[in-house]
Amino acid sequence: MLVLLSILGLPFVAQTLAAQNMRVVATTGDLASLARAVTGDLAQVETIIPAAADPEAFEPRPSDFARLKGASVVVRVGLGYDHWLDKLLSMHGDAVINRGGAGYVDASVGIPLLELKGSSVDPANRDGHAHGLANPHYWLDPANAEIITGGIAEASIRVAPEVAAKVIANRDGFLSRLKANLTQWEQLLAPHRAARLIAYHNTWPYFARRFRLNIVDVIEIKEGVAPSPARLAKLAATIREQNIRVIVHEPFEPEEASQLLARRTGAAVVKLAPSVGSVPAASDYPALFDYNVGTLTRALSAASN
Amino acid sequence: MFEDVLAFAALPLAAAIVFTGIHTWFGLQVLRRNVVFADLALAQVSALGATVGVVAGHAVQSAAGYAYTLIFTAVGALLLTASRGLARSVRQEAFIGVLYVVATAATVLVVDRSPQGAEHVKKMLVGGILSVTGDELVKFIVLYSIIGAIHWLLRRPLLAAAGQNDTPTDIGRIAFWDLVFYLSFGVVVTSSVATAGVLLVFCFLIVPALVGGLFSSHIGVALVIGWIAGAAASAAGIFGSFLLDAPTGAVTVVTFAAVLLVAGAIRAFITAPAAERGRNRQRGLHMGGLVLCLLIGLSGAWVVIAPAGDHPILAMIETATGIGPDRFMTARERADYLEAAAIERRHKGEIDRLYDRERQSRWQGDELTPDEIRRIGSMQQTLTEMGRGERFVMDYLRTRGRERERWYVGLPLAAIGLIAAATIARRARRAR
Repeated sequence: MLVLLSILGLPFVAQTLAAQNMRVVATTGDLASLARAVTGDLAQVETIIPAAADPEAFEPRPSDFARLKGASVVVRVGLGYDHWLDKLLSMHGDAVINRGGAGYVDASVGIPLLELKGSSVDPANRDGHAHGLANPHYWLDPANAEIITGGIAEASIRVAPEVAAKVIANRDGFLSRLKANLTQWEQLLAPHRAARLIAYHNTWPYFARRFRLNIVDVIEIKEGVAPSPARLAKLAATIREQNIRVIVHEPFEPEEASQLLARRTGAAVVKLAPSVGSVPAASDYPALFDYNVGTLTRALSAASN
Repeated sequence: MFEDVLAFAALPLAAAIVFTGIHTWFGLQVLRRNVVFADLALAQVSALGATVGVVAGHAVQSAAGYAYTLIFTAVGALLLTASRGLARSVRQEAFIGVLYVVATAATVLVVDRSPQGAEHVKKMLVGGILSVTGDELVKFIVLYSIIGAIHWLLRRPLLAAAGQNDTPTDIGRIAFWDLVFYLSFGVVVTSSVATAGVLLVFCFLIVPALVGGLFSSHIGVALVIGWIAGAAASAAGIFGSFLLDAPTGAVTVVTFAAVLLVAGAIRAFITAPAAERGRNRQRGLHMGGLVLCLLIGLSGAWVVIAPAGDHPILAMIETATGIGPDRFMTARERADYLEAAAIERRHKGEIDRLYDRERQSRWQGDELTPDEIRRIGSMQQTLTEMGRGERFVMDYLRTRGRERERWYVGLPLAAIGLIAAATIARRARRAR
C-alpha cells in the first residue's frame, strides 16, 4: 500500500516541487497566456500589467518589484512597449532574469517586425507609438506564437533542464491546436478579405496582415493626444469615399472621437480586444482570437447586408 | 469635407459659447471673492465623486453616478464655505489649494483600484469638447438657464456676500449665501468639466472675467465685455484648431491667453486715460525694444561662443534674409552639403516606398513571407542609419559654415544688439 502510494504520489510531488521552483513573470496577459501554454503545470505564471488596463499607459508599482524577486523567467514584449521593465530589473539585480541572463526573454526577438521605420529619421512618422523601433503589437498574429513560445520554452529549459521534454511536448501540443484554430479563424474572415477598416490606435497591422484586412487609417496618430478636428473631418471624408463600415476601437481608449465619426458617417464602432484580458471573453490567447475574429466577422457581415 | 468641418465645429463652438455665458458670471464673482482656484478644487472633488461612483459599479451617466457626483460636490461646497471662516488664521487660497491637491490624490488612489481609471483621469483634464452632442448641449442650456435665472434673482445678496472680504458682521447670513454660490458653482463646474476638461473650464471662468474687469468695474458692463471676449476666443480656438490641425482644447486655451494679452494691450495703449496712455506706450516701446535687442545680441554672442550649438533665432534671421551657413562654405563643401541633403531625401522616400509595399501586401496579392518582411525591415533600418550618416555630414558642414559665419554675422549681431539694448535701457531710466 505504502509502495503503491509512493509510486503514484512521487511524480505528483516532483511536479509540485518544480511548480514551486519555477516562477514565470510576463509583462502582459498575452505573453503570460503563452507562457502558461508552454509550462503547463510546471510553473506558476504571473502578469505585471493588470487585465483591462491600457498597457501603453502602465506605470509599475512596488508590488511589481516584489513580484520579480525570485522569478526564474521574465518574458517581455520588448520594442519599448514595456520599457519600464528595464528599471525594475536593474533595481532587482538578479543576473538570471536581467538582459543576457538565462531566464530573460525578449519575445520580439526573431519576429518579422512591421513598420520598422526608425522614427528619428522621419519626425512626421505618425504611427502613434511614442517609444520603440517597430510596431510592437506582434502577438496579434497567431503565427507569431510559434516564435514567442519558442523563446519562452528555450528560457525555461535553460533555467530548469529537467523540464525539457515536458515543455517541448506542451508547446508542440499548443501550437498544433493553435494551427487548427488559425485555419478556422482565417476561414471565418476569408469572405471579408481586403475589408476596409479605420482603427482608433495603430494596434492592428499584424492582425491585418494575418487576416488580410485593409486598415485604411488610424484616428489617434499621437499616443494620448486627441485627434484634431481637421483630422476628424478628413477621416469622415475617407470613410464616406471608401465606404468604410467599421471603426475598430479598444475598450480602454477614449470613445468620443470614434463615436463622433460613427454618428457622422453611419459606420459602426466595434470593440476588439488588443490583449488577453482586455475584455472578459478574451480569457486566454486562443480566446482572444475567438473573440476578435468572431466580433469582427459579425460586424462586417452586418455591415455588408 | 467642408460640411464635415462645419458639422464638427458648430456644436463645439455653440457649447463653448454657452459655457462662456455662465462661467463669465461665476468668474466675476470668483475674482471678487479672490478664490481663483476654487473651480479646480470643486471640479476635482466632483470628479472624485464620479470616480468613486464608477468604482462602486455605476455608469457616470446613471442616476446613481450623478448622485455620487452631486453629494461629493455638495461636500466640496460646504468645505469651501467653511474656508471663509478659516481665512482669519489660514489664507483661503492656500486652503483651496490643499483641497484641490487632496481631492486629486484621492482620485488617483480610488482610480488605482479600477483598471480603466487612468483614462478617466486623463479625460477630466483634457475633456472632449469636440465630441459634444446636440442633446448634451440642450441639457447644458436648460441647466444654465435655470441657474442663471436663480442667480439673477438673488444677485444682490450674492454680490454683497462676495464683496465682504474682512470679518463680516453677520457671519451666518454670509455663510448661507456663500453656500448657495458654491453649490450652484459646483453644479455648473461639474457639468462643464466633464465635457470641456479642467484646463478649458478654467479659461472660460477666469479669462473673460479678467478681460471684463480690465475695462469696467461695473459688473454688468464687465459681464458683456467678458462674453464678447470669450465668444471671440472660443471661435478663434475652434477654427484655429482646424487650421493648425491641432487638438481643440489646447488650442482654445492658447487663444484665450492671446485674447487676454490683446485686451491688456488695448487697455494699456488705447483706452487708458491720455496721460497714462502716453506713459504706457513709451514703456511698452522700451520693454519691447529691450527684449528684441537683447535676444538679437545674445543670440549673436551665442554663435560666437558655440557655433556648433542650436541657434533658433539665427535660423529665423537666416530664413528671413536668405543668408544661411551655406554662404560661408567653400564651393566643395556646399556641393557636399546639397548632395547629402538629396541623398537623405532619397533614403526617406525609399523607406516610405518599402513601408507602402508592405502595407499593401497585407491585404492585396500574395502574402509576403516572414523572410521578405524581415528583409524589408532590415532595409528600412539600414536606410535609417544611412540617413543618419548623411545628417551627420550636413551637421558637420553647417558647423564649419557657422564657424566662419560667426565673425561676419555673429559678432556684428552681438555688438548691434547689445549696444542697442544698453542705449534703450539708459533712455528708459532717464525717462523715469
